Amino acid sequence: MSQSLSQNPFLSGKSKVGLFYVVLIVATLFWLTPVITLVLTALKDAGDFAVNGAFSLPKAIRWANFSEAWETGVKNYFWNSVIVTGFKVPIGIVLESMAAFALTHMHFKWADRIFTYILIGLIVPMQMTLVPLTLLMNALNLIDTLTGLTILYIGFGVPFGVLVMRGFFRTVPVAIIEAARIDGCSWFRIFYRIALPLSLPAVVSLCILDGVATWNEFILAQIFLRSDELRTLPLGLVQFSTQFSTQYDQLAAAVLISVVPIVLVFLFFQRYFVAGMGGAVK
Amino acid sequence: MASENTAVLAPRTLKSAKTSYDSLRFLPWLFLAPSLVIYSIVVVYPMVYSAYLSLFRWDGVSPTKVYVGLDNYGILFTQNDVFWIALRNNAIWLVAALLLPTSIGLGLAILLNARFRGSHIFRSVFYFPSVLSLAVVGLIWTWIYHPDLGLLNQVLRAVGLKALARNWLSDPNIALYPVIIAATWNAVGLPMLLYLAGLQTIPEELHEAAKVEGANPIQRFVYITFPMLRETTLVVLAIMAINALKAYDIIYAMTNGGPANKTQLLSTWMYFLTYNYNQVGLGTAIAVVLFSLTLIFAIPYIRFMTRKT
Repeated sequence: MSQSLSQNPFLSGKSKVGLFYVVLIVATLFWLTPVITLVLTALKDAGDFAVNGAFSLPKAIRWANFSEAWETGVKNYFWNSVIVTGFKVPIGIVLESMAAFALTHMHFKWADRIFTYILIGLIVPMQMTLVPLTLLMNALNLIDTLTGLTILYIGFGVPFGVLVMRGFFRTVPVAIIEAARIDGCSWFRIFYRIALPLSLPAVVSLCILDGVATWNEFILAQIFLRSDELRTLPLGLVQFSTQFSTQYDQLAAAVLISVVPIVLVFLFFQRYFVAGMGGAVK
Repeated sequence: MASENTAVLAPRTLKSAKTSYDSLRFLPWLFLAPSLVIYSIVVVYPMVYSAYLSLFRWDGVSPTKVYVGLDNYGILFTQNDVFWIALRNNAIWLVAALLLPTSIGLGLAILLNARFRGSHIFRSVFYFPSVLSLAVVGLIWTWIYHPDLGLLNQVLRAVGLKALARNWLSDPNIALYPVIIAATWNAVGLPMLLYLAGLQTIPEELHEAAKVEGANPIQRFVYITFPMLRETTLVVLAIMAINALKAYDIIYAMTNGGPANKTQLLSTWMYFLTYNYNQVGLGTAIAVVLFSLTLIFAIPYIRFMTRKT
């Protein structure tokens, strides 16, 4: 990030800075067109939309779209997503960081092999697991329950979580761990008193990346949730769109509601996205 | 450790007793157990079992499965037209995913690598679509492609290209491409982030030295920036390929495989065969094909991730 603007390969003279900004701003507006369309649609009434289409300023702002969408089912979808994400993320992080710690600092002979075994999960297409999971969940009476879905999410979260936490634990100096060992500190204490606090940024990063991924997950929710009142947001929205296919105003409002928490997290914790992805390729 | 048995060194014995308890061979397993158990049950076991099920003819409910060997694969490759459509679509999708988000992401990363007023805002803007769920991305873009009210056709009509306006998602010949554009919009953020991180590792001195030698920006990109980003590019391409083969939600939200199955991917066709037509054997066979395709890109990636350990 130390590069100054004039050293940017595309810009050799400062006279071009103005042009540079113009190009960027045009590109930004172009890039955000779908989002602008969404917001405009959510704010206008259905008649306005039918006459003028999505990309025009609303004749009158109609906030009721949001309350109506909320009451028509989005409320349920929203809280289901909150519950699933709220349980999945913390439980997942505890399990994943313990595993990652064992793989990085415990002089574990099998570490490489186990890590490779865990990485396989990153590449498995969901389709490869669906049928047996359906049978398994059926046998355990966990079909159509948020508990069952949360358990699946925890399992599928292991590879990415271990990958990220391992990336960060590797940066914890071995000397600190060794010093604690010599002082007679147990591995459990080293884990939660030394390694974990030193990797706090990683934990936050993982929480955010994982939270967003869980909030957005579609296919498992689609297969394993059957009743409407248990649906999570992405699934509920697609359902909503087939059911109320002509009520674009409400659908747009519903989509916007589902996006708001993600936008907030993104705005406040942005740098952790970068840090987290960095950890994943370390 | 023989010294542990010498009773003379009482305090030390105490300490090493603790140490030896701690370094018991099973302790790392204890840390790993919760993750490994749930991961093995939820991901690995179903994977293996799917491969096994692909050798049977089964409707998913009846108590008897009929062993048919590799017949399901034979049926897919010789009698299932939609399978070939899906395979072809996956190939198109894959090529697009390897070219579009990576090159756009690299371009943006180079533009936004400099620290200038607002650079963070611009980075956020271009990364933003990546935090949206693909279902939401699909819904938003469905409006853009709406035949009458969608922005795309409105713009085309306004600039006098009315002839180009069409029902984008209902035209069997082209419906896949609008979906790919929407997916690209979502996918650009990750390559951009990874390339931004990669650019940080290129020493400034290299560019300085090249400038002194009289290299122009394009030469510096070709001979310094791009070669130095080789590792990043490998990771980016692998992740893009793996994600491309996982694509599912956005198809479901935008076309549901239609019109006339022309936008089916292996992933969606697997779902249709398994859950709508109860062809569990064929469905799991597709899953195996999909996974095998993924492995082509994943094996080098996993090698790379487990390097230096």
